[in-house]
Amino acid sequence: MKRIYYILLVFTLVIYGTAPAAVQAQKSSPQTVQTTAPSLTLPVREGSVKFMAVGDTGRGNREQNELAQVMFQYRRLFPFDFVLLMGDNIYYQESAEDMKTKFENVYRPLLDGGVKFYASLGNHDESNQRFYAPFNMNGEEYYRIEKGGVSFYALNSTYMDKRQLTWFENELAKDTAKWKIAFFHHPPYSSGKRHGSEDEIRVFLEPLFIKYSVDVVFTGHEHFYERIKPQKGIYYFVTGAGGEVRKNNIKKNSPLTEKGFDADLSFMLIEIAGDEMYFQVISRTGATVDSGMIKLSS
Amino acid sequence: MKSVKKHYSLLIFVILGILAASRMATAQESTLSAEDRKTMDEFETRAKEYSRMRESLEEKLPKLAKEATAEQIEAHKLSFQKMVQEARAGAKQGDLFTPAAAQLVRTIIKTEFGGKDGAELRKKVLEAETKGVPVKVNLPYPDSKEQVEMPPALLLVLPQLPKQLRYRFVGTNLLLLDRENSLIIDYLTNALP
Repeated sequence: MKRIYYILLVFTLVIYGTAPAAVQAQKSSPQTVQTTAPSLTLPVREGSVKFMAVGDTGRGNREQNELAQVMFQYRRLFPFDFVLLMGDNIYYQESAEDMKTKFENVYRPLLDGGVKFYASLGNHDESNQRFYAPFNMNGEEYYRIEKGGVSFYALNSTYMDKRQLTWFENELAKDTAKWKIAFFHHPPYSSGKRHGSEDEIRVFLEPLFIKYSVDVVFTGHEHFYERIKPQKGIYYFVTGAGGEVRKNNIKKNSPLTEKGFDADLSFMLIEIAGDEMYFQVISRTGATVDSGMIKLSS
Repeated sequence: MKSVKKHYSLLIFVILGILAASRMATAQESTLSAEDRKTMDEFETRAKEYSRMRESLEEKLPKLAKEATAEQIEAHKLSFQKMVQEARAGAKQGDLFTPAAAQLVRTIIKTEFGGKDGAELRKKVLEAETKGVPVKVNLPYPDSKEQVEMPPALLLVLPQLPKQLRYRFVGTNLLLLDRENSLIIDYLTNALP
Protein backbone atom coordinates (compact mmCIF):
# COMPACT_ATOMS: atom_id res chain seq x y z
CA MET A 1 0.00 0.00 0.00
CA LYS A 2 2.82 2.29 0.98
CA ARG A 3 4.60 1.49 -2.30
CA ILE A 4 1.52 2.37 -4.34
CA TYR A 5 1.21 5.62 -2.40
CA TYR A 6 4.81 6.56 -3.11
CA ILE A 7 4.48 5.65 -6.79
CA LEU A 8 1.37 7.84 -7.07
CA LEU A 9 3.10 10.68 -5.23
CA VAL A 10 6.14 10.57 -7.51
CA PHE A 11 3.88 10.32 -10.59
CA THR A 12 1.88 13.38 -9.47
CA LEU A 13 5.00 15.39 -8.75
CA VAL A 14 6.46 14.52 -12.14
CA ILE A 15 3.29 15.53 -13.98
CA TYR A 16 2.69 18.81 -12.14
CA GLY A 17 6.38 19.59 -12.06
CA THR A 18 7.04 19.27 -15.77
CA ALA A 19 3.71 20.42 -17.23
CA PRO A 20 4.24 24.16 -16.53
CA ALA A 21 7.72 23.94 -17.94
CA ALA A 22 6.40 22.27 -21.09
CA VAL A 23 3.76 24.97 -21.53
CA GLN A 24 6.35 27.68 -20.93
CA ALA A 25 8.67 26.11 -23.47
CA GLN A 26 5.89 26.08 -26.03
CA LYS A 27 5.06 29.75 -25.34
CA SER A 28 8.61 31.02 -25.42
CA SER A 29 9.83 29.35 -28.59
CA PRO A 30 7.97 30.82 -31.57
CA GLN A 31 6.32 28.52 -34.01
CA THR A 32 8.49 27.97 -37.04
CA VAL A 33 6.92 29.89 -39.91
CA GLN A 34 7.11 28.13 -43.25
CA THR A 35 8.43 30.81 -45.55
CA THR A 36 8.33 31.16 -49.30
CA ALA A 37 11.30 32.84 -50.97
CA PRO A 38 10.38 36.43 -51.96
CA SER A 39 9.07 36.64 -55.50
CA LEU A 40 8.08 40.01 -56.86
CA THR A 41 5.32 40.49 -59.43
CA LEU A 42 5.72 44.27 -59.58
CA PRO A 43 7.63 45.83 -62.52
CA VAL A 44 9.92 48.10 -60.38
CA ARG A 45 10.13 50.87 -62.94
CA GLU A 46 12.38 53.88 -62.49
CA GLY A 47 10.53 56.96 -61.28
CA SER A 48 7.39 55.07 -60.27
CA VAL A 49 5.58 55.70 -56.98
CA LYS A 50 6.33 52.77 -54.70
CA PHE A 51 4.60 52.23 -51.37
CA MET A 52 3.17 49.71 -48.94
CA ALA A 53 -0.33 49.66 -47.45
CA VAL A 54 -1.20 47.84 -44.23
CA GLY A 55 -3.72 48.22 -41.45
CA ASP A 56 -4.57 47.24 -37.89
CA THR A 57 -0.97 46.61 -37.05
CA GLY A 58 -0.27 47.88 -33.56
CA ARG A 59 -0.21 44.84 -31.28
CA GLY A 60 3.49 44.33 -30.70
CA ASN A 61 2.91 40.61 -30.90
CA ARG A 62 4.92 37.85 -32.50
CA GLU A 63 2.77 37.73 -35.63
CA GLN A 64 3.14 41.45 -36.34
CA ASN A 65 6.90 41.07 -35.98
CA GLU A 66 7.00 38.06 -38.27
CA LEU A 67 5.04 39.93 -40.93
CA ALA A 68 7.48 42.82 -40.56
CA GLN A 69 10.38 40.47 -41.31
CA VAL A 70 8.71 39.60 -44.62
CA MET A 71 8.28 43.33 -45.34
CA PHE A 72 12.02 43.83 -44.83
CA GLN A 73 12.82 40.97 -47.22
CA TYR A 74 10.56 42.43 -49.90
CA ARG A 75 11.95 45.90 -49.49
CA ARG A 76 15.28 44.62 -50.74
CA LEU A 77 13.57 43.72 -54.01
CA PHE A 78 11.03 46.56 -54.08
CA PRO A 79 12.45 49.72 -52.46
CA PHE A 80 9.18 51.35 -51.42
CA ASP A 81 9.55 54.89 -50.07
CA PHE A 82 6.56 55.17 -47.81
CA VAL A 83 3.83 53.24 -46.01
CA LEU A 84 0.12 54.02 -45.62
CA LEU A 85 -1.38 52.91 -42.31
CA MET A 86 -5.13 52.19 -42.24
CA GLY A 87 -5.68 52.89 -38.57
CA ASP A 88 -5.67 50.87 -35.35
CA ASN A 89 -2.01 51.73 -35.39
CA ILE A 90 -1.62 51.17 -31.64
CA TYR A 91 -3.94 48.86 -29.75
CA TYR A 92 -4.94 49.48 -26.15
CA GLN A 93 -2.43 51.50 -24.07
CA GLU A 94 -0.55 54.26 -25.87
CA SER A 95 2.24 55.05 -23.43
CA ALA A 96 5.65 55.99 -24.78
CA GLU A 97 6.74 52.42 -24.15
CA ASP A 98 3.76 51.06 -26.09
CA MET A 99 4.63 53.24 -29.08
CA LYS A 100 8.04 51.55 -29.09
CA THR A 101 6.90 47.95 -28.70
CA LYS A 102 3.89 48.23 -31.00
CA PHE A 103 5.43 50.38 -33.71
CA GLU A 104 8.98 51.76 -33.54
CA ASN A 105 10.77 48.55 -32.59
CA VAL A 106 8.72 46.46 -35.03
CA TYR A 107 9.48 48.62 -38.06
CA ARG A 108 12.91 49.90 -37.00
CA PRO A 109 14.71 48.70 -40.15
CA LEU A 110 12.19 50.57 -42.32
CA LEU A 111 12.36 53.74 -40.22
CA ASP A 112 16.17 53.64 -40.22
CA GLY A 113 16.07 53.04 -43.97
CA GLY A 114 14.25 56.35 -44.48
CA VAL A 115 10.82 54.90 -45.13
CA LYS A 116 8.08 57.34 -44.09
CA PHE A 117 4.86 56.18 -42.50
CA TYR A 118 1.62 58.11 -43.08
CA ALA A 119 -1.07 57.13 -40.64
CA SER A 120 -4.83 57.42 -40.55
CA LEU A 121 -6.78 56.91 -37.32
CA GLY A 122 -8.90 53.92 -36.32
CA ASN A 123 -11.32 53.25 -33.48
CA HIS A 124 -8.43 52.08 -31.27
CA ASP A 125 -6.34 55.21 -31.85
CA GLU A 126 -6.22 58.36 -29.75
CA SER A 127 -6.40 61.67 -31.59
CA ASN A 128 -3.00 62.60 -30.10
CA GLN A 129 -1.33 60.18 -32.52
CA ARG A 130 -1.56 63.04 -35.01
CA PHE A 131 1.34 64.68 -33.15
CA TYR A 132 3.52 61.58 -33.20
CA ALA A 133 6.44 62.36 -35.51
CA PRO A 134 6.85 58.91 -37.12
CA PHE A 135 3.20 59.00 -38.28
CA ASN A 136 3.76 62.16 -40.32
CA MET A 137 0.26 63.52 -39.78
CA ASN A 138 1.50 67.07 -39.21
CA GLY A 139 -0.87 67.56 -36.30
CA GLU A 140 -3.98 66.83 -38.38
CA GLU A 141 -6.53 64.01 -38.17
CA TYR A 142 -7.06 64.22 -41.93
CA TYR A 143 -4.63 65.53 -44.53
CA ARG A 144 -3.42 65.28 -48.08
CA ILE A 145 0.03 64.37 -49.36
CA GLU A 146 1.35 64.22 -52.88
CA LYS A 147 3.91 61.73 -54.11
CA GLY A 148 5.09 61.68 -57.71
CA GLY A 149 1.92 63.32 -58.99
CA VAL A 150 -0.39 61.04 -56.99
CA SER A 151 -2.70 62.56 -54.36
CA PHE A 152 -3.22 60.60 -51.18
CA TYR A 153 -5.99 61.59 -48.78
CA ALA A 154 -5.85 60.34 -45.20
CA LEU A 155 -9.31 60.56 -43.62
CA ASN A 156 -10.56 60.02 -40.09
CA SER A 157 -13.52 57.68 -40.46
CA THR A 158 -14.12 57.48 -36.69
CA TYR A 159 -15.34 61.08 -36.63
CA MET A 160 -16.47 62.24 -40.05
CA ASP A 161 -18.04 65.57 -39.16
CA LYS A 162 -19.07 68.50 -41.35
CA ARG A 163 -15.67 70.11 -40.91
CA GLN A 164 -13.87 67.11 -42.38
CA LEU A 165 -16.34 66.52 -45.20
CA THR A 166 -16.13 70.17 -46.21
CA TRP A 167 -12.32 70.07 -46.15
CA PHE A 168 -12.29 66.86 -48.22
CA GLU A 169 -14.60 68.24 -50.90
CA ASN A 170 -12.71 71.53 -51.10
CA GLU A 171 -9.41 69.70 -51.54
CA LEU A 172 -10.79 67.32 -54.16
CA ALA A 173 -12.35 70.18 -56.10
CA LYS A 174 -8.96 71.81 -56.71
CA ASP A 175 -6.96 68.59 -57.11
CA THR A 176 -5.54 68.08 -60.61
CA ALA A 177 -3.51 64.96 -59.84
CA LYS A 178 -3.80 62.08 -62.29
CA TRP A 179 -4.37 59.51 -59.52
CA LYS A 180 -6.44 60.22 -56.41
CA ILE A 181 -6.27 57.73 -53.60
CA ALA A 182 -8.07 57.79 -50.26
CA PHE A 183 -7.10 55.75 -47.21
CA PHE A 184 -8.86 55.44 -43.88
CA HIS A 185 -10.04 52.86 -41.39
CA HIS A 186 -13.67 51.83 -41.90
CA PRO A 187 -14.41 50.08 -45.23
CA PRO A 188 -17.30 51.38 -47.33
CA TYR A 189 -17.41 47.91 -48.86
CA SER A 190 -16.51 44.71 -47.06
CA SER A 191 -17.59 41.08 -46.92
CA GLY A 192 -16.56 40.68 -43.30
CA LYS A 193 -18.75 38.72 -40.92
CA ARG A 194 -17.48 40.75 -37.95
CA HIS A 195 -18.11 44.25 -39.32
CA GLY A 196 -19.21 44.33 -42.97
CA SER A 197 -19.69 47.38 -45.16
CA GLU A 198 -19.83 50.67 -43.30
CA ASP A 199 -22.94 52.08 -44.94
CA GLU A 200 -23.02 55.29 -42.87
CA ILE A 201 -19.56 56.20 -44.12
CA ARG A 202 -20.22 55.14 -47.72
CA VAL A 203 -23.34 57.27 -48.03
CA PHE A 204 -21.25 60.38 -47.49
CA LEU A 205 -17.97 59.45 -49.14
CA GLU A 206 -18.97 57.55 -52.26
CA PRO A 207 -20.71 60.53 -53.92
CA LEU A 208 -17.54 62.56 -53.38
CA PHE A 209 -15.36 59.76 -54.74
CA ILE A 210 -17.51 59.60 -57.87
CA LYS A 211 -17.89 63.34 -58.35
CA TYR A 212 -14.17 64.03 -58.06
CA SER A 213 -12.82 60.85 -59.68
CA VAL A 214 -11.13 59.16 -56.76
CA ASP A 215 -9.58 56.03 -58.25
CA VAL A 216 -8.61 53.73 -55.36
CA VAL A 217 -9.60 53.41 -51.70
CA PHE A 218 -7.58 51.51 -49.09
CA THR A 219 -9.16 50.66 -45.74
CA GLY A 220 -8.68 48.39 -42.74
CA HIS A 221 -10.82 47.53 -39.68
CA GLU A 222 -11.57 44.02 -40.92
CA HIS A 223 -8.67 41.72 -40.03
CA PHE A 224 -8.20 40.17 -43.43
CA TYR A 225 -7.44 41.11 -47.03
CA GLU A 226 -10.17 41.66 -49.58
CA ARG A 227 -10.12 43.11 -53.09
CA ILE A 228 -13.60 44.35 -53.80
CA LYS A 229 -15.08 44.21 -57.31
CA PRO A 230 -14.97 47.75 -58.76
CA GLN A 231 -17.89 49.75 -57.45
CA LYS A 232 -19.03 52.53 -59.79
CA GLY A 233 -15.57 52.50 -61.34
CA ILE A 234 -13.68 52.76 -58.04
CA TYR A 235 -11.36 50.09 -56.67
CA TYR A 236 -11.61 49.26 -52.97
CA PHE A 237 -9.16 47.24 -50.94
CA VAL A 238 -9.44 46.03 -47.35
CA THR A 239 -5.96 45.52 -45.93
CA GLY A 240 -6.50 45.11 -42.20
CA ALA A 241 -4.43 42.04 -41.35
CA GLY A 242 -1.23 43.75 -40.26
CA GLY A 243 -1.26 42.54 -36.66
CA GLU A 244 -3.90 39.85 -36.45
CA VAL A 245 -6.08 37.83 -38.80
CA ARG A 246 -9.69 36.92 -38.21
CA LYS A 247 -9.75 33.53 -39.87
CA ASN A 248 -12.69 32.49 -42.06
CA ASN A 249 -14.25 35.89 -41.59
CA ILE A 250 -14.95 36.69 -45.25
CA LYS A 251 -18.50 35.71 -46.17
CA LYS A 252 -18.44 32.93 -48.73
CA ASN A 253 -19.93 33.80 -52.12
CA SER A 254 -20.13 37.49 -51.31
CA PRO A 255 -21.07 39.42 -54.46
CA LEU A 256 -18.47 42.02 -53.47
CA THR A 257 -15.37 39.85 -53.36
CA GLU A 258 -13.01 39.74 -56.30
CA LYS A 259 -10.33 38.11 -54.15
CA GLY A 260 -10.11 37.44 -50.44
CA PHE A 261 -7.53 36.07 -48.02
CA ASP A 262 -8.32 35.44 -44.38
CA ALA A 263 -5.97 32.60 -43.50
CA ASP A 264 -3.03 34.69 -42.31
CA LEU A 265 -1.66 38.19 -41.85
CA SER A 266 -0.82 40.18 -44.97
CA PHE A 267 0.27 43.51 -46.43
CA MET A 268 0.15 45.18 -49.85
CA LEU A 269 2.89 46.51 -52.07
CA ILE A 270 1.80 49.02 -54.69
CA GLU A 271 3.55 50.60 -57.63
CA ILE A 272 2.07 53.41 -59.74
CA ALA A 273 3.73 53.98 -63.09
CA GLY A 274 1.96 56.35 -65.45
CA ASP A 275 -1.58 55.12 -66.00
CA GLU A 276 -1.01 51.76 -64.35
CA MET A 277 -1.20 50.71 -60.72
CA TYR A 278 0.33 47.35 -59.88
CA PHE A 279 -0.30 45.61 -56.59
CA GLN A 280 0.95 42.53 -54.82
CA VAL A 281 -0.40 41.11 -51.57
CA ILE A 282 1.98 39.08 -49.44
CA SER A 283 1.25 36.88 -46.44
CA ARG A 284 3.18 36.24 -43.26
CA THR A 285 4.76 33.20 -44.85
CA GLY A 286 5.96 35.28 -47.80
CA ALA A 287 3.45 33.82 -50.23
CA THR A 288 1.76 36.02 -52.83
CA VAL A 289 -1.97 35.82 -52.24
CA ASP A 290 -3.12 38.34 -54.82
CA SER A 291 -1.62 40.52 -57.52
CA GLY A 292 -2.76 42.51 -60.51
CA MET A 293 -2.83 45.78 -62.37
CA ILE A 294 -5.40 48.57 -62.42
CA LYS A 295 -5.52 50.88 -65.39
CA LEU A 296 -6.42 54.50 -64.77
CA SER A 297 -9.84 55.14 -66.27
CA SER A 298 -9.91 57.97 -68.79
CA MET B 1 -45.89 65.02 -78.67
CA LYS B 2 -45.69 62.05 -76.29
CA SER B 3 -41.88 62.32 -76.05
CA VAL B 4 -42.12 66.10 -75.36
CA LYS B 5 -44.56 65.40 -72.52
CA LYS B 6 -42.20 62.71 -71.20
CA HIS B 7 -39.26 65.12 -71.23
CA TYR B 8 -41.24 67.80 -69.41
CA SER B 9 -42.26 65.25 -66.76
CA LEU B 10 -38.63 64.28 -66.32
CA LEU B 11 -37.61 67.93 -66.02
CA ILE B 12 -40.24 68.57 -63.36
CA PHE B 13 -39.10 65.46 -61.50
CA VAL B 14 -35.47 66.67 -61.54
CA ILE B 15 -36.45 70.15 -60.34
CA LEU B 16 -38.49 68.65 -57.50
CA GLY B 17 -35.55 66.44 -56.58
CA ILE B 18 -33.22 69.42 -56.40
CA LEU B 19 -35.72 71.32 -54.27
CA ALA B 20 -36.08 68.33 -51.92
CA ALA B 21 -32.31 68.04 -51.55
CA SER B 22 -31.89 71.73 -50.77
CA ARG B 23 -34.67 71.52 -48.22
CA MET B 24 -32.98 68.55 -46.55
CA ALA B 25 -29.82 70.58 -46.20
CA THR B 26 -31.68 73.02 -43.97
CA ALA B 27 -33.87 70.33 -42.43
CA GLN B 28 -32.18 70.65 -39.09
CA GLU B 29 -33.01 74.34 -38.80
CA SER B 30 -36.51 74.16 -40.20
CA THR B 31 -37.65 71.22 -37.97
CA LEU B 32 -36.39 72.82 -34.77
CA SER B 33 -38.83 74.94 -32.85
CA ALA B 34 -37.69 78.35 -31.69
CA GLU B 35 -37.30 76.94 -28.20
CA ASP B 36 -35.21 74.00 -29.45
CA ARG B 37 -33.09 76.39 -31.48
CA LYS B 38 -32.47 78.44 -28.33
CA THR B 39 -31.57 75.27 -26.38
CA MET B 40 -29.15 74.23 -29.09
CA ASP B 41 -27.52 77.67 -29.22
CA GLU B 42 -27.11 77.70 -25.46
CA PHE B 43 -25.52 74.24 -25.51
CA GLU B 44 -23.11 75.31 -28.23
CA THR B 45 -22.25 78.43 -26.20
CA ARG B 46 -21.43 76.32 -23.13
CA ALA B 47 -19.28 74.03 -25.28
CA LYS B 48 -17.38 77.07 -26.62
CA GLU B 49 -16.90 78.36 -23.08
CA TYR B 50 -15.28 75.07 -22.11
CA SER B 51 -13.14 75.24 -25.23
CA ARG B 52 -11.92 78.76 -24.38
CA MET B 53 -11.15 77.71 -20.82
CA ARG B 54 -9.10 74.70 -21.80
CA GLU B 55 -7.26 76.68 -24.48
CA SER B 56 -6.24 79.27 -21.91
CA LEU B 57 -4.90 76.46 -19.69
CA GLU B 58 -3.10 74.73 -22.55
CA GLU B 59 -1.29 77.96 -23.39
CA LYS B 60 0.49 77.68 -20.04
CA LEU B 61 2.04 74.37 -21.09
CA PRO B 62 5.02 74.03 -23.45
CA LYS B 63 3.57 73.91 -26.94
CA LEU B 64 3.30 70.39 -28.31
CA ALA B 65 5.11 70.17 -31.64
CA LYS B 66 3.36 68.67 -34.66
CA GLU B 67 6.24 66.19 -34.81
CA ALA B 68 6.60 65.20 -31.20
CA THR B 69 8.06 62.16 -29.54
CA ALA B 70 5.85 59.67 -27.75
CA GLU B 71 7.30 60.89 -24.42
CA GLN B 72 6.41 64.51 -25.21
CA ILE B 73 2.86 63.57 -26.20
CA GLU B 74 2.34 61.52 -23.06
CA ALA B 75 3.75 64.24 -20.79
CA HIS B 76 1.66 66.95 -22.44
CA LYS B 77 -1.54 64.91 -22.18
CA LEU B 78 -1.04 64.09 -18.49
CA SER B 79 -0.12 67.67 -17.51
CA PHE B 80 -3.03 69.06 -19.48
CA GLN B 81 -5.39 66.52 -17.94
CA LYS B 82 -4.33 67.52 -14.43
CA MET B 83 -4.74 71.24 -15.13
CA VAL B 84 -8.26 70.85 -16.51
CA GLN B 85 -9.29 68.44 -13.77
CA GLU B 86 -8.21 70.97 -11.15
CA ALA B 87 -9.90 73.85 -12.94
CA ARG B 88 -13.14 71.84 -13.18
CA ALA B 89 -12.97 70.24 -9.75
CA GLY B 90 -16.62 71.07 -9.15
CA ALA B 91 -17.85 69.96 -12.58
CA LYS B 92 -20.78 67.60 -12.61
CA GLN B 93 -23.03 65.75 -15.01
CA GLY B 94 -25.51 68.17 -16.57
CA ASP B 95 -23.21 71.20 -16.70
CA LEU B 96 -23.42 71.15 -20.50
CA PHE B 97 -26.19 68.58 -21.00
CA THR B 98 -28.78 70.57 -19.08
CA PRO B 99 -32.19 68.90 -18.82
CA ALA B 100 -33.41 70.85 -21.88
CA ALA B 101 -30.29 70.04 -23.89
CA ALA B 102 -30.45 66.40 -22.84
CA GLN B 103 -34.06 66.13 -23.96
CA LEU B 104 -33.26 67.79 -27.27
CA VAL B 105 -30.26 65.57 -28.02
CA ARG B 106 -32.19 62.40 -27.17
CA THR B 107 -34.96 63.49 -29.51
CA ILE B 108 -32.50 64.27 -32.31
CA ILE B 109 -30.86 60.85 -31.97
CA LYS B 110 -34.21 59.09 -31.88
CA THR B 111 -35.41 60.97 -34.97
CA GLU B 112 -32.23 60.26 -36.89
CA PHE B 113 -31.96 56.63 -35.83
CA GLY B 114 -35.46 55.29 -35.59
CA GLY B 115 -36.23 51.79 -36.82
CA LYS B 116 -33.67 49.55 -38.49
CA ASP B 117 -30.86 52.12 -38.42
CA GLY B 118 -31.32 52.52 -34.68
CA ALA B 119 -31.10 48.79 -34.11
CA GLU B 120 -27.87 48.61 -36.12
CA LEU B 121 -26.34 51.56 -34.30
CA ARG B 122 -27.31 50.06 -30.96
CA LYS B 123 -25.75 46.72 -31.92
CA LYS B 124 -22.48 48.37 -33.00
CA VAL B 125 -22.25 50.52 -29.86
CA LEU B 126 -23.07 47.74 -27.42
CA GLU B 127 -20.61 45.32 -29.07
CA ALA B 128 -17.74 47.80 -28.85
CA GLU B 129 -14.85 47.32 -26.44
CA THR B 130 -15.97 50.09 -24.10
CA LYS B 131 -16.83 48.10 -21.00
CA GLY B 132 -14.97 49.53 -18.06
CA VAL B 133 -14.98 53.13 -19.31
CA PRO B 134 -15.77 55.13 -16.16
CA VAL B 135 -18.73 57.25 -17.17
CA LYS B 136 -18.00 60.10 -14.80
CA VAL B 137 -17.31 63.79 -15.37
CA ASN B 138 -13.66 64.84 -15.08
CA LEU B 139 -12.26 61.31 -15.37
CA PRO B 140 -10.12 60.36 -18.37
CA TYR B 141 -11.37 58.08 -21.11
CA PRO B 142 -8.98 55.11 -20.95
CA ASP B 143 -6.69 54.78 -23.96
CA SER B 144 -7.10 51.02 -23.64
CA LYS B 145 -10.74 51.28 -24.77
CA GLU B 146 -11.90 51.82 -28.31
CA GLN B 147 -13.76 54.91 -29.43
CA VAL B 148 -16.77 53.84 -31.49
CA GLU B 149 -17.13 55.74 -34.74
CA MET B 150 -19.89 58.32 -34.80
CA PRO B 151 -22.33 58.14 -37.71
CA PRO B 152 -21.69 61.14 -39.97
CA ALA B 153 -25.44 61.68 -40.40
CA LEU B 154 -25.80 62.13 -36.64
CA LEU B 155 -22.85 64.50 -36.39
CA LEU B 156 -24.53 66.75 -38.95
CA VAL B 157 -27.67 67.20 -36.86
CA LEU B 158 -26.34 67.22 -33.31
CA PRO B 159 -25.29 70.55 -31.77
CA GLN B 160 -22.02 71.51 -33.39
CA LEU B 161 -18.94 71.28 -31.19
CA PRO B 162 -15.62 73.14 -31.18
CA LYS B 163 -12.93 71.01 -32.84
CA GLN B 164 -11.41 69.97 -29.50
CA LEU B 165 -14.59 68.24 -28.33
CA ARG B 166 -16.03 64.94 -29.46
CA TYR B 167 -19.23 62.99 -29.01
CA ARG B 168 -18.71 59.29 -28.28
CA PHE B 169 -21.10 56.53 -27.34
CA VAL B 170 -20.26 54.30 -24.40
CA GLY B 171 -23.01 51.77 -23.85
CA THR B 172 -26.24 53.73 -23.94
CA ASN B 173 -24.50 56.93 -22.81
CA LEU B 174 -23.37 59.77 -25.04
CA LEU B 175 -20.14 61.31 -23.79
CA LEU B 176 -18.57 64.68 -24.48
CA LEU B 177 -14.81 64.14 -24.64
CA ASP B 178 -11.84 66.44 -24.92
CA ARG B 179 -9.83 64.88 -27.76
CA GLU B 180 -6.43 66.00 -26.42
CA ASN B 181 -6.61 65.50 -22.65
CA SER B 182 -9.16 62.64 -23.00
CA LEU B 183 -11.31 63.95 -20.15
CA ILE B 184 -15.03 63.29 -19.99
CA ILE B 185 -16.52 66.77 -19.94
CA ASP B 186 -20.15 65.70 -19.56
CA TYR B 187 -22.39 62.80 -20.51
CA LEU B 188 -25.97 61.97 -21.31
CA THR B 189 -27.61 58.75 -20.15
CA ASN B 190 -30.15 56.72 -22.16
CA ALA B 191 -29.01 58.38 -25.36
CA LEU B 192 -29.51 55.37 -27.65
CA PRO B 193 -32.98 54.86 -29.11
